[in-house]
Amino acid sequence: MEQHAKRVAKSHKNTGMKDLRNSWLKYATIAVGILLALFIVILLALIVTKPTPEGLFASIMSEEIHFAIILSLLTSLVSTFLCILIGVPAAYALARYLFKGKNVVNALLDMPLALPPLVAGLGLLLFFGTTNIGRGLAEIGLTFVFTPLGIIAAQFFVNIPFMLRIMRSTFESINPRYEYVAKTLGCSDAQALWRVTLPMSAPGFFAGSVITWAKGIGEFGAALLLAGAIKWKTETLPIALFLNMSCGNLNMAISAATILIIISVVALYIFERYGGASRF
Amino acid sequence: MGEFVLRNVTLDIDQGEYLVIVGPTGAGKTILLETIAGIYPPDSGSIILEGRDITGLPPRERNICVVYQDYMLFPHLTVEGNIGFGLISRQMPQDEIRKRVVEAAALLSIDHLLHRYPDTLSGGEQQRTAIARAIVMEPALLLLDEPLSALDGQTREMLIKELRRLHKLYKITVVHVTHNFEEVFALADRVAVMNDGDIVQCGHPDEVFRKPNCAFIANFTGVENIFTGTCSQQVGASAINVDGLTIISSTCKGEGEICATVRPEDILISREQIQSSARNSFKGTITDIVNNGMVIKVTVDAGIPFVSVITRQGYEHLHLNEGEEVYLTFKASAVHVF
Repeated sequence: MEQHAKRVAKSHKNTGMKDLRNSWLKYATIAVGILLALFIVILLALIVTKPTPEGLFASIMSEEIHFAIILSLLTSLVSTFLCILIGVPAAYALARYLFKGKNVVNALLDMPLALPPLVAGLGLLLFFGTTNIGRGLAEIGLTFVFTPLGIIAAQFFVNIPFMLRIMRSTFESINPRYEYVAKTLGCSDAQALWRVTLPMSAPGFFAGSVITWAKGIGEFGAALLLAGAIKWKTETLPIALFLNMSCGNLNMAISAATILIIISVVALYIFERYGGASRF
Repeated sequence: MGEFVLRNVTLDIDQGEYLVIVGPTGAGKTILLETIAGIYPPDSGSIILEGRDITGLPPRERNICVVYQDYMLFPHLTVEGNIGFGLISRQMPQDEIRKRVVEAAALLSIDHLLHRYPDTLSGGEQQRTAIARAIVMEPALLLLDEPLSALDGQTREMLIKELRRLHKLYKITVVHVTHNFEEVFALADRVAVMNDGDIVQCGHPDEVFRKPNCAFIANFTGVENIFTGTCSQQVGASAINVDGLTIISSTCKGEGEICATVRPEDILISREQIQSSARNSFKGTITDIVNNGMVIKVTVDAGIPFVSVITRQGYEHLHLNEGEEVYLTFKASAVHVF
């Protein structure tokens, strides 16, 4: 009897070891992952290697691409700043306080994430083009329709959920007792936030800003509807890519794409490096 | 939060007193401390500190400091930055801050760590830093929320000594929350027992642990022998009838249904019946012997089960075995009735 039990145990052990070493699930899933990664590399390589290096360099040095780079940098920096200005306080409230309708507000603030940018752009166009608020803003000189201001508004609206979500999870990961201690050590609510919670959330803040900025640079759909695709006026990098592609100017299109790829890679690296706990 | 409710908590803490609050997890101890500190506004009632009503004051104006179990050191600041944090709030001149920080750090023997960041410190060092951060403020009241629970035994003992020394030195009023009874006996001038958002008993440690006044405390403080019975008065004492067994007590007030306890260490076990002044003596059978290392717990069935604790020496001397007959003896004054 005992011997039999031993034998059973032994055979179990053998097949068990075999299963451990040769799990088909392991190999199949790893293969899927690697194939997908390869596909991405191939796509990127295809874009960058399509034109001759000289042609690509000449396009990158062209005035049109310089204009697009500068416009993209300016609009994305301003819209990121606005996302910080609005997103950080809102995220703090959502992480720290209980209030009526919090769940609804939470869900609505995530809405732009799920919304197709074109739809968001349509809404923005109607808001700035047809309402009294929009007309009032235009009267004091803030015209959003078919202007660079519109690009900023589009980037802000589409990307605020990124800032918000990252900062919300960052604040949520910080024990409120740090603030309690700060308050017993002479801080007001605002001082506790400024001296303790904000410095502690620096990595999340940094990661959130970078991802918001990178998304802003790539923003196309909403910006297209609100600001239009106007050469030398609202021509950001993605718009330059689109305009040049439409009229067969492949080198120019690809140089815009190449710069966008570089920005994405840098942003992804920074996010992975410093995002840490604040992934979402 | 919202789930925790404090009710009817009345506590008078004397100046310079070391009060320890004990209670099971979820008793509301931390909420009580945070309410005193001003984190949560109480729905009703008031908090008076040194004759001043501070119920509506924000935490920063109360001069009450908190030390938590998990230290809550600011990770982006060095030990020096942490200890000096409150002094910066007070806008003290920089050299004065530096002086006081060094002083407080020296007092807690962490002055060699001032430049380090909290995540490079051991648990004991972190808690010393947290304590230094609080006492450097010279608070009118120091709140300690299970300050030693996250530390290993040796570090804990060191810090108990440290706390006792600091308390003597500064004469700070301390409220210390714990569920560890060692800390109660080592530190407390007075102990308050909390359960379910309520202070159920408050007094000198010996008093609370000798004469628990309700079944909850008896259970919580580890009283083994709790009996319910009917009490009847006799001359100079009272008799308690517990399932037919008559126990004599000198503390019974009044008649009727009562609870009685006898602490295990007050019950004497012997092979022969002892002739003594002790009024209670029963014959019973040993049903269980549990070796706890330092002491042996012996359960004897004498009609009702009694638990007695004897030393290892006594146990070896008596050669006790399960199923054997022994005598139990305890004084009438050891029977506490509530």
